[in-house]
Amino acid sequence: MNVARIAAGIFMAAVSGMVHADDTAMHPELPIAASFYTHDPQSLKSGALNPSAFLLAANEGDALKEQAATAPVTEFKPPLLSGRKVHQYLGLSTVAFAGLTMLAAPEDEEEGSQTQPRQTSGTTHTRLARATAVLAVATVMTGLIYHWDDFHLEDGFSDPDNQHALLAGTGALLLLYAVNKSAHSSVPTSHAGIAELGAVSMLAAIKLTW
Amino acid sequence: MHRRSRIAALLAVALLTGSCYAAAEEDFWDWLLTFERQKNFKPVTDKVYQEECGACHFAYPPGLLPARSWEALLNARALRKHFGVNAELDDDTLKDIHDYAVDNAADKSWYKRSRKIAVATEDGPAPLRITELRYISRKHQVIPEKMIKGNKGVKSLSFCDKCHTQADKGIFDADTVNIPNYPNWDD
Repeated sequence: MNVARIAAGIFMAAVSGMVHADDTAMHPELPIAASFYTHDPQSLKSGALNPSAFLLAANEGDALKEQAATAPVTEFKPPLLSGRKVHQYLGLSTVAFAGLTMLAAPEDEEEGSQTQPRQTSGTTHTRLARATAVLAVATVMTGLIYHWDDFHLEDGFSDPDNQHALLAGTGALLLLYAVNKSAHSSVPTSHAGIAELGAVSMLAAIKLTW
Repeated sequence: MHRRSRIAALLAVALLTGSCYAAAEEDFWDWLLTFERQKNFKPVTDKVYQEECGACHFAYPPGLLPARSWEALLNARALRKHFGVNAELDDDTLKDIHDYAVDNAADKSWYKRSRKIAVATEDGPAPLRITELRYISRKHQVIPEKMIKGNKGVKSLSFCDKCHTQADKGIFDADTVNIPNYPNWDD
């Protein structure tokens, strides 16, 4: 039982770590440490004010060939920290924290097997669980704010962004429900499965739009 | 017992979901098991496609249109009047470009934005203009006209790479957008 729980926890933590590493590897210009970074406004201005970048923007005819041959050189660098990236890292953190929460679950908490009063706060497991729930809510909120124009009901369920929103929203709700269910019970409750389903749902949501 | 049931249920859901996708696309497992980011479009990797198409305009990633659109666009007859320009190619070159575009079209790609376009263009006639795709027009509708048509540095939505600074890598994220003459476009 615990082996499966530990394996699932390690898997989720590993997945979130690997995707972060992959993201960093894809963008070697970004600092690896989680230092805050704001793009240099001067680089934007210099790129925008470079006249050679625009004089060749003719629309048709031979000028197009000339334009293609001399593509504008810009110093623009995408920001490391943006609302969309915050949403991305919050989602990965949610899955990572869900994995850690599973790892920190008390071993003897089985229905009917309890000998001591059940702790619903103050333990590593409960703290991590609450942090996971908060991260899940923050992920959904930032998704709604920064990706508001990515999901539309008219596109149907087969649209990947709609699937992402549905799965992530459901996953967050399941995590919240699991935390709430356990926190308000003085006897052991079977909340782990709900939480695991929520975490898997969020992981699937991430993969769909990764 | 509860634990086993739960694990079995999770596995069943995963297998069911996986099998649905797998039945639809052979490349599903490649997509599932890679950590490579596939959020945008597959970048152009074919040298002939890059050189021939890129000689006149931005070499659009084939994942921007479904295969039937490329079928309609990349044939000898259509290229004689390629959006008002004669863009005829020799047979071998045309075949290379055609095959590459069709093989990497939106409906054959697992990249997210390609999947969105494939889903949105399943029904109806084959779209021939990328700028008229519902997804593309919707994503750009919040950009004022003055920043595109009225902007000497852009002029048209067709010039993707004027604003999408990593378009050559297939990346079209909003974070990589730098509209010429409007460095603070998203304020």
